[in-house]
Amino acid sequence: MNILNPIALLFALLAIPIVLLYILRLQRREQKVSSTLLWRQVVLDREANTLWQKLRRNLLLILQLATLAFLVFALLRPYISLPGGLNGRLIVLMDASASMRATDVLPSRFDAAKEQARNLISGMGVGDEMSLILVDSNPRALTGITSDRGELLAALDASKASLGQANWAAAISLGSATANEQSTFIVISDGAHAEDLKLLQRQTRFVPIGVNGDNLSISTLSLRKTLRGLAAFVRVTNNGKQDDDSLVSLRADNGTLLDARTVKIPAGQSISWTINDIDANTASVRASIDKANHNNLAADDVVYAVSANTALRRALLVTRGNRFLEQALANLPNIQVSRAVTTGVTTLDSRPFDVYILDSMNADLSALPPHANVLFIGPQQVFTATDTFSNTGYVRTVSHPIAQSLNWRTVNVQATPLIEAPAWLKPIIQSQGGPLLFAGEFPAELAGKDSEPPLQRVVVVPFELRRSDLPLQLAFPILMLNSIEWLAPPQGMTIPASVKPGEVVNLPRGAQVSLPDTSALGGTTVTVDQRGFANTDALGPYTVTFGDVSGAFAVNFFNSIESEIAPSPQLVIGEQKENESNILTNNTLSQRELWRWLAALALLVLFVEWWIYQRGVPSLKGLFRR
Amino acid sequence: MLSESFLKSLSGLRLWSVKRRPGTYTGERRSTRRGRSVEFADYRDYVPGDDPRRVDWNVYARLERPYIKLYEEEEDLAVHMLLDTSASMKWDEEADDLDSRPTQAGRLPPKWQRVAQLAIAMGHVVLSSGDRLIVETSTRARFGPKRGEAATSQLISFIEQQWQGGKGGQANLNQWLRNYALTSRGGMAIVLSDLLDESGCEEGLNAIGGKLDLNVLHTLGAAEIDPIIAGDLRLKDIETQSAQDVSLDQATLARYRERVQGWSSELNSFCRKRGGRYALIDASTPIEQIMLRDLRREGWLV
Repeated sequence: MNILNPIALLFALLAIPIVLLYILRLQRREQKVSSTLLWRQVVLDREANTLWQKLRRNLLLILQLATLAFLVFALLRPYISLPGGLNGRLIVLMDASASMRATDVLPSRFDAAKEQARNLISGMGVGDEMSLILVDSNPRALTGITSDRGELLAALDASKASLGQANWAAAISLGSATANEQSTFIVISDGAHAEDLKLLQRQTRFVPIGVNGDNLSISTLSLRKTLRGLAAFVRVTNNGKQDDDSLVSLRADNGTLLDARTVKIPAGQSISWTINDIDANTASVRASIDKANHNNLAADDVVYAVSANTALRRALLVTRGNRFLEQALANLPNIQVSRAVTTGVTTLDSRPFDVYILDSMNADLSALPPHANVLFIGPQQVFTATDTFSNTGYVRTVSHPIAQSLNWRTVNVQATPLIEAPAWLKPIIQSQGGPLLFAGEFPAELAGKDSEPPLQRVVVVPFELRRSDLPLQLAFPILMLNSIEWLAPPQGMTIPASVKPGEVVNLPRGAQVSLPDTSALGGTTVTVDQRGFANTDALGPYTVTFGDVSGAFAVNFFNSIESEIAPSPQLVIGEQKENESNILTNNTLSQRELWRWLAALALLVLFVEWWIYQRGVPSLKGLFRR
Repeated sequence: MLSESFLKSLSGLRLWSVKRRPGTYTGERRSTRRGRSVEFADYRDYVPGDDPRRVDWNVYARLERPYIKLYEEEEDLAVHMLLDTSASMKWDEEADDLDSRPTQAGRLPPKWQRVAQLAIAMGHVVLSSGDRLIVETSTRARFGPKRGEAATSQLISFIEQQWQGGKGGQANLNQWLRNYALTSRGGMAIVLSDLLDESGCEEGLNAIGGKLDLNVLHTLGAAEIDPIIAGDLRLKDIETQSAQDVSLDQATLARYRERVQGWSSELNSFCRKRGGRYALIDASTPIEQIMLRDLRREGWLV
C-alpha cells in the first residue's frame, strides 16, 4: 500500500484538541446526592472488570479518535496496487525499442513489459476493451479495440522487441485514433528517450520497466582501404555509470581472429583503436564485446563492417600537368582518374567519363559527350571574362553541396577574371571583387528541342590554381571531394556502408541480396522488388549483386541513443511531469484508491459513536448474550 | 401536613405487632405478663407471698391444693418510633447543586415531606389505638411517651420542628440505635430511615431487634431508587462531603438500580431473621397509598 498525499498526516494533529476536549469534558459536574454509599459500591463493582471497563469508559474517545484516524488515512489517499483493475477502454502502448531488449530485468525488459500487459489483460472486466500498440520505429496496433482476451494474449505473445527506436509521436497518434473520451493510455516502457510522450494529453498510466542502465556498445566500426590492405577502426563506448573492463575481439568474415584485447572503459566514455594490415580481400569484419561485467544490452555488442563498395566513378582530368590536382584526385575514394591533354578521349568500353576536370585548358567543349559533368578550373575562353579583380577577400558562401564543410576564409587568390557567367551558373563563394566559385546545372530547355544538352552539372573555379594558395589549404581536397560527389554522384547502386536494422535500402529492382547467417532466413538470397530491400532485420553483412556490379552493406545496431538504456527516472507525460500518482509499480498495473472506503468507515464509526452516546455503552455481558 | 380527614381515616387502624410485649400500663393489648384481666390463661402452684385473692378456691375445694389462677393481662404497647433526621433524609433530589437549599416556606423536599407524613400518620395510628408512642430522632430529640389521640397535634408540631431548615448533620445509625436499644424496655420499634450510613446499619438494627420488635420503614427518595442523572459526574455526599466520580451511562444506572433492589432484599431478610418486618417506601408514593393500601396489604396496619 502506498500513499499519495503524505502531507495530510498533519491532520492527525487534530487528535490533540480531541483529547484535550475529552479531558476538559471530564471536568465532572458536581451533583449532590444523599449518599455516595451505593454509588461507591456500584463503581467498585464496575472497576472489577478492569480492562474492558477502562476501555468502555473511554470508548467514545476511542471511537472519535478512530474516526479521525480513518479520515486522516483517507486524506492520505492510500492506494493498493492490484493486478489489472483499470477499466474502460485501455490503449496499451508497449515500448518495443531496442533498449527494451536490455536484460537488467530478467529475462528482458520486453518480457517484463509483456508480463505487465498480460496482467492487465487478465485484469480486464466485463465490458472492458483494449488495444495493444507495439511502439518501435514503425508503431502498429497488434490488435484493434477488442475485449477478446485470447486475441490480445496471442498478439502479445507474438510481439517482439525491435532493434530500432520507439516512435512515440506516431504511436500516440495511432492510439488517439482509437481512443474515446474515457480511454486510458497505459505506457509500458523503460522511459529511455521517450520525450515524445509529452505529446500524450490524455489520461495516462505509466508502467516503468527496467532498473539499470549499464551497457557497453561498439559505437563505431569502419573498414577502409589503406596502402597495405585494410584498416579497421573500432570504438567501444561505456554508456553505464561504472567503469568496466571488456574483452573486444575483431574477426574476419572467414572467422580469422584479427584482434582481441581487454580494454578498460571509464563510465560514460569511449575507447577507440585501429587495427591495421588486414588482408585486402577481407569482405567484412565483425567486432564483438565478448566479455564485460556491466553490459545489459546484447544488440549493440556485435557490429559488422564491409569493405568499401567498389562502385568506381571514372573521371577524365584534362591538364597540362598539375601535381596538386592529381594528388588530390588520387586520394578521393571510389574514383578512377584518367589523365589526358584533350577532352576527346573515350574510355575502353566507350562509355563517357562520369566527370571531366578541365584544368586551365582552352577546352573544346564540343568534344565532350552530351550530359557531361564538368569541373572547370581557370577556364579560358569558355566564359567571357570582362575584367580581372584582385580584391578577393572572402565575403560569403552560398549553401550548396560543394560548399559543404568548405572553409574559404583562409584561401588567398592573387587575381581572378571576372567572368560573365550564365544565369544558371550560381556564384557559390563571393569575394569583395566578385565570385570565386560557381556551380550550376545546365538547364535542358537551353539546348533546344532536338539536341541534347551539352552539359549537365558544372562547377567553375574561375582562377588558375597556381594564382592562389588554394591547393595548399585544407579547403582544396574538400572542394575536390564535394565537387566530384556532386558532379558525379554514385550512379546505379547507391549502397550505404552501414544500415540500421529495419531500414529500407534503396537497391535497384532485381538485385540479389544474400542475407547474413544471423538472419532467420540465414544464407538465402532475396531478390529486391520495386519497393527496395526491407529485409534488414538481422544484424550482419549483406552482399548485393546486380548485373556485373556487386556491393555489400552491413546492418548494424549503431544507435547511440538506444545504447543508452538507462531507464528514465522522470518522465514527462502530457503537460505535467510524471508524478507518483501516475506511475504504477513494477509488479502491478493498477492502483485502487482506498479513501472512499476509509471515509465510509469513518462515517460508520461516527454513527456508532453517536449511537453509543445516545444509548449508553453496551455491556460486555450484554454483547455476549446477544 | 396531613389533612384532618386523612387522619380520621387512620383512626380505625391499629398497628399490628408481630410479638406480644410486656407493657407498663394496662392497655388494649395482650401482654406476656399474666395479670388481672378477665381472660383466663393458666394455673400455677401457690407460693407463699402470692395474693390470696388470686387463689382459685373452687380448685382448692376439689383438689385441696392451692392454685393461683392466671389471667391474660391486657396491656398497652410501647411503640418506639426511631426517626432518622440526618441530612440525607432532608436531601432535595430536585435541587441540582449544593447551594440551592430548599429554603422556601411550604416547600419541603419530597423525601422529607413523605418521611414526616409517614411519622405523623404512624404516630397517629399508635396514639389513636391507645398505645404509647415514643419518638426519638437521630439528633436525640425525643417525643413522648404519649398516649391518646389528643397527642397527635403535639406530635405534628414535634415532627415539623425536625425539619430544622434542612440541616441534619451526619447520623451514626449504629451508635444511635445501639444506645437506644440499651435504654429501652421493650415494645415495638419502628425505624424510619433511609439507612444510608457510611458505617452501615446492621449492627444498630441488630441491637434494636434484640430488645424491641423490629420494624423498619426503609424510606428512599425516588431519585435514590431510580436516579435520573446522567453523564460524567462528581457525586458529593451531602452528609460526609465525600466525592465519587462516576460516568453514568445506561449500564451503570441499571447496575445502581440492581444494587438498590439487592440492598433492599438483604435488609428484608436481615429483619425477618430477627423476627422483624421491613418495608421499602418509595417517597414518591402518595402517603394515602402507603398508609391505606401498601402497609395494610403488608399486614402492618389492621
